Amino acid sequence: MAEIERKVDRNNPQIAFVPSNWKALIAFSAAVMLLPLFFRNDYFYLFFNILALNAIVVLGLNLLIGSTGQVSLGHAAFYGLGAYISAISSTTFHLPLIVSLFVALALVALASFLLALPTLRLEGHYLVMATLGFNIIVCICLGQMENLTGGPSGFPGIPKLHLGPWGITTDRQFYYFIWTSFIVLFTLTLNLTGSRVGRALAAIHEKELTAKTLAIPTYGYKVAIFVLSAVYAAFAGFCYAHYVTFISPKTFDIFYSVQIVTMVAVGGMGSLWGGLAGTALLSSLPEVLHQLEDLQVLLYGIILMAVLVGCPNGLFPAMAAYGAGAGSKLRGWIAGGAREFSSGNPVKGAQFETPILQPDAPIDRGELRAASGSLLKLDGVSLSFGGLQALSDVAIHVQPGEIVALIGPNGAGKTTVLNLISGLVEPGSGTIELDGRRLSGLPPHRVAAAGIGRTFQSVQVFSGLSVLDNLLLGYHKTGRSGFVSASLRTPAERFEEEALRIKALELLKSFGLEKPAAQSVGTLSLVEQKILEISRALALSPRVLLLDEPAGGLNPRESEFLMRHIEALRSKGMGVVLVEHDMNMVMRLADRIYVLQQGRLIASGTPSEIRKDPRVIAAYLGTKKGRFTAEDAESAEEIKVKR
Amino acid sequence: MSWSLVPHLLVAGITNGSIYALIALGYCLIQNATGLVNFAQGEFVMLGAMIVIWLHNGLQIPIPIAFPISILLVAAVGMALEQGPIRRSRNRDVLTLVMITIGASISLRGASMMLWGKGSRIFPSIGGDSPFIFLDAAILPQSLWIMGFSVLVLALLYFFFHRTLVGKAMRAVSDNRLGAALIGISANRLTALAFAVSGSLGALAGILVTPITSMSYDGGLMLGLKGFSAAILGGYGSVPGAVLGGIVLGVMESLGAGLISSAYKDAIAFLLLLAILFVRPAGLFGKIHVRRL
Repeated sequence: MAEIERKVDRNNPQIAFVPSNWKALIAFSAAVMLLPLFFRNDYFYLFFNILALNAIVVLGLNLLIGSTGQVSLGHAAFYGLGAYISAISSTTFHLPLIVSLFVALALVALASFLLALPTLRLEGHYLVMATLGFNIIVCICLGQMENLTGGPSGFPGIPKLHLGPWGITTDRQFYYFIWTSFIVLFTLTLNLTGSRVGRALAAIHEKELTAKTLAIPTYGYKVAIFVLSAVYAAFAGFCYAHYVTFISPKTFDIFYSVQIVTMVAVGGMGSLWGGLAGTALLSSLPEVLHQLEDLQVLLYGIILMAVLVGCPNGLFPAMAAYGAGAGSKLRGWIAGGAREFSSGNPVKGAQFETPILQPDAPIDRGELRAASGSLLKLDGVSLSFGGLQALSDVAIHVQPGEIVALIGPNGAGKTTVLNLISGLVEPGSGTIELDGRRLSGLPPHRVAAAGIGRTFQSVQVFSGLSVLDNLLLGYHKTGRSGFVSASLRTPAERFEEEALRIKALELLKSFGLEKPAAQSVGTLSLVEQKILEISRALALSPRVLLLDEPAGGLNPRESEFLMRHIEALRSKGMGVVLVEHDMNMVMRLADRIYVLQQGRLIASGTPSEIRKDPRVIAAYLGTKKGRFTAEDAESAEEIKVKR
Repeated sequence: MSWSLVPHLLVAGITNGSIYALIALGYCLIQNATGLVNFAQGEFVMLGAMIVIWLHNGLQIPIPIAFPISILLVAAVGMALEQGPIRRSRNRDVLTLVMITIGASISLRGASMMLWGKGSRIFPSIGGDSPFIFLDAAILPQSLWIMGFSVLVLALLYFFFHRTLVGKAMRAVSDNRLGAALIGISANRLTALAFAVSGSLGALAGILVTPITSMSYDGGLMLGLKGFSAAILGGYGSVPGAVLGGIVLGVMESLGAGLISSAYKDAIAFLLLLAILFVRPAGLFGKIHVRRL
C-alpha cells in the first residue's frame, strides 16, 4: 500500500502507458510478425488477411456486447457500407484514398448513429431486430442501385491501398498492413476497457439503473459505443475493398453478420482476447470444410446454439477453466500486471474497530441552516401508477447538516419518494428542488451529478468489478478523460486516473475497506458491501445523501458501526434522507421525522413529537402495548445484544 | 402508376397483412409466455411451407392431409426448441436466450437447405389460380383462404384464451409467472405450449402464403422480420395489436410498392419499424410498462 500512497507526480504517472496485459500483447505481435516464415504459398497470406479483417469486425462487436449487453445482427451492413462507399468515392469520383476512407467512416458513423438513437433508448431486443432489418435493406439497396454499385454482379476495379508513395499491392504487404492495424486497434480497445470509460461501460452492462444514479450518462455511452463499433466494421470494409479490388453484395449479407456474432459467442461475449481466438477458430472452419460448402450455414447455427447452451461465457474461457493447474500459471502470466493493487495474500474482511470518518472541520449546523434555508425541497409531489395513487401531495424539506428520516408501514411509498428524488421515476405533479434548482424532469444521471447520492434497499454493487473499481465509479463525475484520451493513455489521462485511485483508496481507508480494495466485491460481507455502497455515493460529493434501509439485514454491532459513520456525515454539513425500519436507529439519528402512510404524509416533527403523535402510533408504531419509548428502544437494544 | 390500381392493391395488402398478422401473433405468444423475442419465428413459417411441399410434391400426399401434418410437425419443432436449447441453457440471461433463438433460426435454415436445396418451390393453391373480379379488384381464391383462415384462427385463439382453463392459465402465467406457479399452474408446460402454438401459427402462415409467393429455404427471414415489424407496430405483446399491425403493415407496403416503387417493397416494412421505434415505441396498442425498482 505504501506504493500507492506516494504523492502524485504529474510528470511521471505510475499507471503504465500500455495495457495491463502488455506481455501477452507483445508475444502476440511477435508471433504475428514471425508467422509468415512458415507460409508455403500466398494462400496462407490470403487466409490470415481475411482472418484479420474478421478480427477487426469482431473486436467492434465485442465492445458493443461487452458494454451494452445488446447484439447487433447488422455488422455485415456496416462492413459492406464501408467497402462500397470507399469503392465508389475512390473509383467513380476519383477521390484520394484517405478522403474516401474518411467519407466511408463518416457516413457509416452517421447511419449507425441514426439507427442507435431510437433503438438503444428501449429495453428488450429491439436493437437486434433493427440491425437485422438494416442489414437486409442495405443488401437490397446494394443490389438495386445498379448505376452506383454495379448491382448484384458486383463492383470491379477498386484501386489498391497505398501509404503515401508505398503501395500495398501484394498479399504479403497487405498482411503486414492489416495485422499492424489490428494490433493498434486492439491495443487502443484494451486501453479503453481498462479506463474510466471502460469502467462505466462495465457498470452499464451489469446494472444500468445503478450506473445512472452514479452520474453516468448511460444512453449517451451506449450510442457512442454502437457508433464506434460500426466504425470498426467500416474500417475493415474499407481495407477489404481495397485489398480484393472487387466486391459484390453477397459478401455482406446477413450470414456474415451471423458468422461474426458466432465468433464473438464462441470466444466469450465481452472478452477481447476470447474474441480473437473465436475468430481464428471459426475463420478456419470454411478451410476445413471445402467440399461441404452447403453444410456451413447449419454448422454455424449449431455451433452458436451449442456454445450458448453449454458454455455461455465462451468456449475458450470454459476450456481455460478445465485446464486449470498449469493453465492457471499461464493465465496468471498473461494477465500480467492486471491487478496492480493486489496485495499477495487475500485479506479477510475489514475490521469494525478501524477509525471512523472524522469531519474535516466541524461545522456549526445552526449557522448553516440559517444561512441557506432548505437544501432539498419536495413540494406537492404526487404520483400514480395506473389507478394506484402511490403518493399524493408530499412535501418534504431537508436542510444542510440535517438527518431527515422517512418512516411508515410497508408499501407507504418511502422508496418511491427516494426514486422520485433521484430521477428514476418522474412525478405526476409537484416539484423537486435542490438548492433552488429544479430536479424533477432531469434524467437520473443529471440528478446524481447535481448532488444527489443514494444507496438501495437491496445492495447494488457491481459484482464483476473489484472493490476499488466499484468506488471509482462514484468518481466518474470527477474524471474528465474520454474515449480518445483513454484509448491513447495520454499523460493527462493517466495522471487523472492515478489521482482518482489515490482519492478512492483514501476514502476506502477512512471506512476501513482498504485491505480488500483489489478483491472482487463478492468477497465482502453484507455490512462491508453496504459501506462500500455508501462510500460510492459519497464519492459523488453529494449535497444530499439518500439512504434506503441502511440497517436492513445488519446485526446491532454492524448498525452501530454504520450509525457512527452517518453521524459523521451530518457534521460535515450534508443533508441525509434516511428510510429505515429500525426505530432505534431512526430515533437516535434523525433530527426530524416524516411519517408516510398510503402515500400521504400523516405527521412530521422531531423524534420526541413523533413518538407521542397518536396518528403515528396508530398507523405505525403500534397502539396499547406497542407504545414506543426511548426506554423501550434501549431495552430492545439490550435484548438484541444479548442474543 | 394509376389510382385505378388502388382497390387491387388494397386486397393484396390485406392478404399479405393477414399473413403478417399470423406471424406477429406467434411472436406475441412467446413474448407473453417468456419475455423473449423468438428469432426462429420466421423459420417456423418457412418450415411449414417446405414440409407441405415435401409431402405433396415428393411423397404425393394430398394437400388436405399434408396441411395438418405440417402444422403438427412445426408445432413439435417449436416445442423442441423450448424444451431443448432454451430450457437447458445454463445462463438464464435474456441476451443469451435470444441469441440461442438466433442460433436455432440459422440451424433450421441450414438444415432446410441441406434437405430441400436452394431453389424456390411452390405447391398449387386450392381453388385454382384464376382471379375473379369483385368491386374493381381482382381477387385470387387463395386470398379468400388466407383471410378466412386468419379470422378463424383469431376466433379460436379468443375462445382458447377466454373460455378454456388452459388458456386462462396461460394468461395468468404471462401476467405473473411466479404467482401462477404458486397456485399450482405449471409455467414450464405452458411455456412449451406457447412455443408449440406459436410454431403452428407460423406454419399456417407459411402454408397459406406459398401458393402465391413460393418459398425457399431463406424465405423465412423476410417474413419473420415483417411479422416482427407488425407486432411492434401494434404494440409488442398485444394480440389485437398484432392483428391490426399486420393489416396496416400489409396495406402500407402494398400501396407503397404499387404507387412508388416495387423494388423497395421490402424496405418499407423496415422503415416503418424504425419510424415507430422513434415516435411511439409502445406501438398502437402497447402499454407503457412501469418498472418496479
